[in-house]
Amino acid sequence: MLELVGVRHRYAARVVLDLDRFAIPPGALIAMVGPNGSGKSTLLRLLALLERPSEGEVRLDGKAVSGGPAHVRPGTAARRRVTLVEQRPILLQGTVRDNIGFGLRARGMRRAEVNRLIEQVAARLGVTPLLERRRHELSEGEVQRVAVARALAVEPQVLLLDEPVSSADRAAAQTLYAALREERSRRPLAICLASHQLEDAYRWADDVRALAEGKLSPVTPENLFRVELPQTGAGDLKHVRVGTIEIAAMTDKTGPAILAVPPTDILVSREPLASSARNAFRGRVTRLARQRPGAVHVTADVGVELVAVVTEEAARDLQLTPGSPVVLAFKANAVRVF
Amino acid sequence: MDFLGEGLRRAFALLLGGDAEVSGVVLLTLKVAVTATLIACAFGLPLGFFLATRPFWGRRAAFTLVNTALAFPTVVTGLLLFGLLSRRGPLGGVGWLYTWQAIALGDVCIALPIAAALSAAAVQGVDPRIRRTAQTLGASAWRTAWAVAREARFALAAVITAAFGHVIAEIGSAMMVGGNIRGSTRTLTTAIALYTGQGDFGLALALGVILLVLALLVNIALQVLQGQGHA
Repeated sequence: MLELVGVRHRYAARVVLDLDRFAIPPGALIAMVGPNGSGKSTLLRLLALLERPSEGEVRLDGKAVSGGPAHVRPGTAARRRVTLVEQRPILLQGTVRDNIGFGLRARGMRRAEVNRLIEQVAARLGVTPLLERRRHELSEGEVQRVAVARALAVEPQVLLLDEPVSSADRAAAQTLYAALREERSRRPLAICLASHQLEDAYRWADDVRALAEGKLSPVTPENLFRVELPQTGAGDLKHVRVGTIEIAAMTDKTGPAILAVPPTDILVSREPLASSARNAFRGRVTRLARQRPGAVHVTADVGVELVAVVTEEAARDLQLTPGSPVVLAFKANAVRVF
Repeated sequence: MDFLGEGLRRAFALLLGGDAEVSGVVLLTLKVAVTATLIACAFGLPLGFFLATRPFWGRRAAFTLVNTALAFPTVVTGLLLFGLLSRRGPLGGVGWLYTWQAIALGDVCIALPIAAALSAAAVQGVDPRIRRTAQTLGASAWRTAWAVAREARFALAAVITAAFGHVIAEIGSAMMVGGNIRGSTRTLTTAIALYTGQGDFGLALALGVILLVLALLVNIALQVLQGQGHA
């Protein structure tokens, strides 16, 4: 189990990550989603033991391996159990073969064994034809695949992937995810991947967590908006402009905040309903996705994109298809502000 | 202008004729410069790497110190070393004053800050992802340092060249602690100063040309090295 406990990480005086606890259990498949600058990459670097938290500690199987009251410096032994593939990975000097073999040689493996493992992992990631090439002879997508191969070659217990398919086309992304699936079927491997693509996150992860402004969102990652809360309002009811619409929310906070609308709290209808919901917006369905059995994620453009989750049966009854007119409604109380 | 033409003619005659004294001066200069450069880089490059990569209390002050040492006048280095190595000095018992070892020691003092400051700059110029990549793949501190050094190899080669260039062209310290003794501690630069003072312009110019050729050869070697490198 790899976990961050009581971590507040700062760059200069600015807190970029503030997490009471974040754990990756053995064999877990976790997706971190959040906008650029939400702290995903920092989180992964802390988990990879490449940075020490300003406050708090990183634990591996319950033992502090970085930070904490003793200011533990991460050691090579702990780092060898966790491997990070950065969003824009870089290849080291030498060929792709040298790169994939780097971590294996660092572990003192014999040349024949290193070569055997390189061939195996290269075949799984579809990079065998690239083995003798150097970094300037590769595209960004190829570099990304080689970087994943290089990370898998050392067989870490936890693999951290920062936007692993950001430079990959659809086919390359499929190859990558297939290789990860195969790796997980061969041996216990926990994966934590950061992505800004929700669909990818839902498709590949068992557990999707959202990060906003360095904090874990208390709700699922859809419908997160960075807003400026006004000073004025009737009691705690505030009307907040988000894109071209105004969302009513109950909060005593003012100033910059993250506003979240849980997709399961959004009511989907064809026509406006007489109800207590302070928020009701007309729009059109832009996308329908079945990410879990029995549940349909309905994305509608109502001035901003909102995602609602309905049952298969409801989607069928409402005859929802891309382009269908819909009304999305939710109570001011359903809006989370943090 | 006649003396210049005459000087050049004498220089080529000496060079082509294989003058024994000139050969001795050249060999001693090379011995001192290579020894000093090797020692300065052996300590200076790791020091530069440490300064560039390890956060520690007083790091900024250490950088300032090293950068200040870059501008330290060589004649003052020679003067301090003279004080240390002279019979009454704390290192007088070593008996190095007016030996080639003293010149080499002075050159190490001059080249060390160059090697440290420039290698720190070279390492700081390496993409930080290289270090993180090596670490996340489980490399030890030494292997990580090697991966970073490979990335900065051209810049580090230039650091070595700069250190060698400073050492081979240095005169202040060599004159103070070497004494410019014929056949013993006379280097190219001290010989040039001496022969110019004595009015033997031809010999001085010949030695100057040799100095330039040596500098040129070192730079060519660096170019060849860079040409062999691959991205």
